[in-house]
Amino acid sequence: MADERRGGGARGGRGGARGAKEEKGPGQRRSLFRRRKVCKFCAEKIDYIDYKDVRMLMPFVPDRGKILPRRISGVCAPHQRALQTAIKRARQLALVPYTAD
Amino acid sequence: MSTSRQYELIYIVSPDASEQEIADLHAQVEAIIARIGGELVKSENWGRRKMAYEIGPHKEGNYVLELINGTGELMKELERRLRVSEKILRYLVVRVDEELRAAERTRSRRKVRTGPPAGEGDRGGLDSDSGDDRYESEA
Repeated sequence: MADERRGGGARGGRGGARGAKEEKGPGQRRSLFRRRKVCKFCAEKIDYIDYKDVRMLMPFVPDRGKILPRRISGVCAPHQRALQTAIKRARQLALVPYTAD
Repeated sequence: MSTSRQYELIYIVSPDASEQEIADLHAQVEAIIARIGGELVKSENWGRRKMAYEIGPHKEGNYVLELINGTGELMKELERRLRVSEKILRYLVVRVDEELRAAERTRSRRKVRTGPPAGEGDRGGLDSDSGDDRYESEA
């Protein structure tokens, strides 16, 4: 029982430390090279995510066929929403797969 | 009565259809547009391309894109005809006018705001400044 409590305390402490660090400023010390991700569509100023443009969509559809979550790709929320509909439309037209075969 | 909107129609013609049949289908679409009233803005034949998955026995399809100004009734009739046609593997109608207008709006809004060279910051009100700075220095 005592062990358990100590473990929990340690975990809480670590989490708290991380939160505090982020408040100070992103990745100043030993952040294990967590690079700041920037939305591709914002950076390249793409206003309209075209479902016909397979070359643009494919990076967001990994081999498995699923839509890449934005926690991985770093796409901002408005663009992820647009991207999502674009991919779904492209799927209907067999431009982009639903699943891996 | 009903307002004219802009639609994008894409249909996939079976790979065993001849060039002539594809042209016929296109002519049919044109005829329907002419009959009901509307305007064919752009027509594009992508030709034969591999599909991401098989539709029935087919692995390839002939893609045809038509950009149409017209009413909902026109698109309804077009859809009905495409559904009936056996050579059509699949079709998709998307209303594009509002989306394109929205894209145009953000584009012009960006042009007005000439000041900041940092393009990334434009939309991301949520992004912290320090984060963006860091990215720029990397890039």
